[in-house]
Amino acid sequence: MKLIKKIAVLSITSALTWLMPVSSYAQADFEGIWNPSHPPRMGQPVPSDVRLTVEGQAEFDAFSPDKDPTLRCVMPGIPLGLVDPYPIEIVQQDHQVLFLYEHFHMVRRIFTDGREVPDHWLPSFMGYSTGQWDGDTLVIRTTHMSPDNYTWTAGFPFSGDPEAYVIERYRRDGEELSFRGEVHDPRYYEEPYVVNGHWDFAPEGEIWEYECIPEFGGIQ
Amino acid sequence: MKRTPRLVFVSIGLTLFIGFPVTAHHNGGTYFDMGVDIEHKVATVVGYDLVNPHGRLVYVFADGNGNEVEWIGELPSANNARRRGLNADLFKPGDQLSSVTGNPSRSGANFMRLSRVVFANGDIAQISGRNAGVHRAESQ
Repeated sequence: MKLIKKIAVLSITSALTWLMPVSSYAQADFEGIWNPSHPPRMGQPVPSDVRLTVEGQAEFDAFSPDKDPTLRCVMPGIPLGLVDPYPIEIVQQDHQVLFLYEHFHMVRRIFTDGREVPDHWLPSFMGYSTGQWDGDTLVIRTTHMSPDNYTWTAGFPFSGDPEAYVIERYRRDGEELSFRGEVHDPRYYEEPYVVNGHWDFAPEGEIWEYECIPEFGGIQ
Repeated sequence: MKRTPRLVFVSIGLTLFIGFPVTAHHNGGTYFDMGVDIEHKVATVVGYDLVNPHGRLVYVFADGNGNEVEWIGELPSANNARRRGLNADLFKPGDQLSSVTGNPSRSGANFMRLSRVVFANGDIAQISGRNAGVHRAESQ
């Protein structure tokens, strides 16, 4: 009798899993293409409100346009690409959420199955992202980001130190997806550097090719 | 080659306001003087490339001394420009322009961030701002 009960429970569970339209991990449906809101509401902090450390200020003062990775056709990654005025497509799977950016064709995997960063993972422009659902909010933590990146090309640096991390919180409200990002980089910032942004659901939206030609990136 | 713009007028106070809610991760104010608008009148298109990461319009005009000077105007990325209706066939060499307006490079080079181009026939290519796009003279 116990065996029959167990089989029945397993069958119902399997059927429910099969019928669920999104990942069993997901608490909200972000799937689809999202366009930057218009008029744009993607925001960086007011520069005078950013509190840099002494070392961060020195890096800020040393910034020049030739250090902007995107002007050399290098992807902005994280954190520079957090505020990105291009469409993104989001795909939700059981073990991960994929952010497919039009800008530089960036592909971002946010693992939601509880895994931890592999020991062999090297710093990179996209870093390593894990996510979990806080109710209907997707909370992403990114580590292992490149020291060659920037927080914003107004000159705000990014150290890429091992203890640096980024927290993003995405939430859908009707046809709008909003996010808040916090760059935690204690070597260069006295307090987290906060950005935010909004996208509009675009069922007819398109993701275009983004070929980049370095010769056209230079600032004269 | 002289670099003196024919007409320069300053919009003090706009720089900080424009710089923060950005439409790109680039802060234009880092590279261009957003508080200064320069306008070149009666120009001729030499070249135009609508590419990523930024498009370029190359044009010549006669400065106050009658010398022909060449400038480069930077456009948004090809993808963002196309979404504003600014396409790859918008300009072609030889096109006559009534005026070219933008924010000059901080480096002092003959280089600006384009904001608006007016064709000799009155058509307007609004490069930036909420009304970005091509506005035909007959519909204005």
